[in-house]
Amino acid sequence: MATDNANADGFGEVSRVRGIVFEYLSFGASVFGLVALGVLLVYVAIDAFDLANASPEWLLTYFLTLVVPFLAFCLYSANDRGVTRRALGALGGGLVAVAALFTAVETLVSPIPRLNWQLAYLFVVGAPATAYLAYVGSGGRVGAVGFGLLGRLVGGVAIGLAVGTLFLVFDPLLWFLAYTLGVLPAVGLYAVGRRRSTPRAQTAAAPVGLAGLIAAVVLRDVVSTYPSDLIIYLWTVAVPVAAAGGLLVAGRRGRTAAAVVAGLPLAVATAGGFLAAGAGLPAPTVLLVLVLTGVPTAAYVSRVVDAGEGLAGLGLPLLLGAGVIAGALIVEAWGVPAPDPWLDGSFLTGAPSRTPTDAGLYPAIVGSVIIIALVAVLSFALGVGTSVFLEEYTPESGPLGTLTRILQVNIANLAAVPSVVYGLLGLGLFANLLGLGIGTAVTAALTLSLLILPITIISAQEAIRSVPDDLRRGSDAMGATRWQTTKNVVLPEAMPGVLTGTILALGRAIGETAPLIMIGAATTVFRAPDSLFSRFSAMPMQIYTWAGFPQADFRYGVVAAGVITLLIILVGMNGTAILLRNRAERGS
Amino acid sequence: MSNTTSDDSLITTEVQADSNDDRAASAAETAVAARDLNVYYGDERAIDDVTMEIPEKRVTALIGPSGCGKSTFLRCINRMNDMIEICRVDGDVEFGGKNVYDTDVDPVALRRKIGMVFQKPNPFPKSIRDNVAYGLKIQGFDGDVDKRVEESLKGAALWDEVKDQLDSSGLELSGGQQQRLCIARAIAPDPEVILMDEPTSALDPVAASKIEDLIDDLAEQYTVIIVTHNMQQAARISDRTAVFLTGGELVEYDDTAKIFEDPEEQRVEDYITGKFG
Repeated sequence: MATDNANADGFGEVSRVRGIVFEYLSFGASVFGLVALGVLLVYVAIDAFDLANASPEWLLTYFLTLVVPFLAFCLYSANDRGVTRRALGALGGGLVAVAALFTAVETLVSPIPRLNWQLAYLFVVGAPATAYLAYVGSGGRVGAVGFGLLGRLVGGVAIGLAVGTLFLVFDPLLWFLAYTLGVLPAVGLYAVGRRRSTPRAQTAAAPVGLAGLIAAVVLRDVVSTYPSDLIIYLWTVAVPVAAAGGLLVAGRRGRTAAAVVAGLPLAVATAGGFLAAGAGLPAPTVLLVLVLTGVPTAAYVSRVVDAGEGLAGLGLPLLLGAGVIAGALIVEAWGVPAPDPWLDGSFLTGAPSRTPTDAGLYPAIVGSVIIIALVAVLSFALGVGTSVFLEEYTPESGPLGTLTRILQVNIANLAAVPSVVYGLLGLGLFANLLGLGIGTAVTAALTLSLLILPITIISAQEAIRSVPDDLRRGSDAMGATRWQTTKNVVLPEAMPGVLTGTILALGRAIGETAPLIMIGAATTVFRAPDSLFSRFSAMPMQIYTWAGFPQADFRYGVVAAGVITLLIILVGMNGTAILLRNRAERGS
Repeated sequence: MSNTTSDDSLITTEVQADSNDDRAASAAETAVAARDLNVYYGDERAIDDVTMEIPEKRVTALIGPSGCGKSTFLRCINRMNDMIEICRVDGDVEFGGKNVYDTDVDPVALRRKIGMVFQKPNPFPKSIRDNVAYGLKIQGFDGDVDKRVEESLKGAALWDEVKDQLDSSGLELSGGQQQRLCIARAIAPDPEVILMDEPTSALDPVAASKIEDLIDDLAEQYTVIIVTHNMQQAARISDRTAVFLTGGELVEYDDTAKIFEDPEEQRVEDYITGKFG
């Protein structure tokens, strides 16, 4: 074979410059966005908690009681020496780097207002490193347990708040009658029918429930004496929730575990409710939050105890709670001046005020939660319905097929319509034409549902389309009608994707301000809305209003507290929804 | 399997074993019959004037090269072709003394009497129990579901492997087990006919041979119609064989032994000896 040694110095080189430039540009762009947002959040958090005025002793105390134990827990659960070393390096090296950088910027560029280098360190290095450790640690057995419990606690409180506010809005007396006369007998009949396998009892359940509901509406004003609110909530919500939790557990782990899971939180919640009533706190809310947090937590703990693994992880929430209390006690004993955070109990429970220190967000929080709960229900139902129709029921060819394609294109276009336009639609259609009222909660909920409907529909369609055709054909070949196939095979399989889309869309809805301005939502209300037709304000509206106030305390402290509250509630709701979605994913 | 060099001799040996079977193909009632059946996809003809009678409680194999219309024929029997919008069917398919393409036949009700197993195992993402009970559930079966699930899993030779994990997902099983789960699902509502569309082509040889044994047992209770690409498989398990060739033409349909030993048509002989297709 004739070789002329053309490849003696290798094969030449192929340029990769464009690829490398692209790689670093994209990396830079994404990092820039994240860093910019992170820096903003750091400023906002410092303002909201007034950390700039905190004394070093105060910071040190909480660092020792809260951050150090958390860090230790993360290191313990990380179980990975490489990660541990990297984290320690980041924390130690970052300490020097941040101090140097901060001093350099202060002296050479411009003074940084209300931020010292220790704080900068805490946020720029400390928080990301611990977050990273927490993330890595959550992969391990121990960490996963701890964070799972934390997630359920947060999610439970979020659901509790949502349910609680919904109950404030709907008439509890009506609900009491409807539950006693309609829901309970119907569910009872259905359960009995299931157990004894008598189909007649099952078919009777629906009419009995309906008759009960009608009776409740009729009797609402006839009956004059009602038990106290606390008793009503205990009877109509706490007991059923505990029973449902117990039943779920009983199916898997026997009666004793079920009794513990149902009984313990119920007892604690009842006691808490009556104590709160004695102390003049909102007893029904305390009861609801306790029972809705307690039952999932108890179920979770009993499962972990049963599995016998990762028990130590359950210590994380205890550790954090104990850290907060210990920090407070030490600061008190030491006599260190504590910072005065804007985001405190009175901010969350108080009404807006002219003085920054008295300002509160409570009416706006209630308004936002009501709207979001309604939007979630409406957009989920409408979005899933429409996407199922478009994906499963419409033909691909013929005149109907053409109509479907036109619909599809227009739904995609609707997603691009500005939210102000939806606001105008809401004002014209819901507020004026249908007479639901200007600036009422129901008008806002309907408008926001319309706004996010295209996103919900498109993502639900994607999810439904990704269900393999094999499964549909398998179900069809069993002699299932299209509805049976959709209900039993397609929807369960598509549900995680559908929920993901709905969650993302809800995140957009909760932060919308423009359509609310258009439908005439109040910028500030002083009482929480007590019905769907009352005037309301939402968190972003209130924050926007405060940002325009002349006092600096409003524009910095109160706005920051509002932003943090909005973010926490949003994260809590998303966390709950993601927990639900993961459950749906695991079920399939 | 022996190391025979020629396909032909291999098939012949297998067929001799099969012809000792006590099921004589000719002495059975007709379960499904096609008369002058033509199927078109748009303007293209996929089945060309097929007339054949499929005996009850026997295994009938449909073989032929890719695209010859054998799967289309199979899907005509339970009207799964209705799902394909461009598909048009002419002629009759008789099942239970009734033309399934008559206007008063509800295809959904028809499919409840005809089970089907697909090429790729397609268990639902549900528990093993729910998979088997699926047909019972959608048909509103009000008897003892658990008992029926057990019987069906035993009928599909899967019970011993899964009886302790009925609540775990059907997707956790191996490919061969999944296919047997699909067979259990198909027989749970007690259909009269089971259609199988290349049920072993996605499986390894061991799993495939288990399915073949199972098909043999199923034929004692059900009429089995199976599409296969594997001629040895057709020779081993079927009582009757229909050979389709390109264009959707039914070239020869006879007892399996006859087809593989002494086919009438030269084209069929060419096809099964591997000279064509």
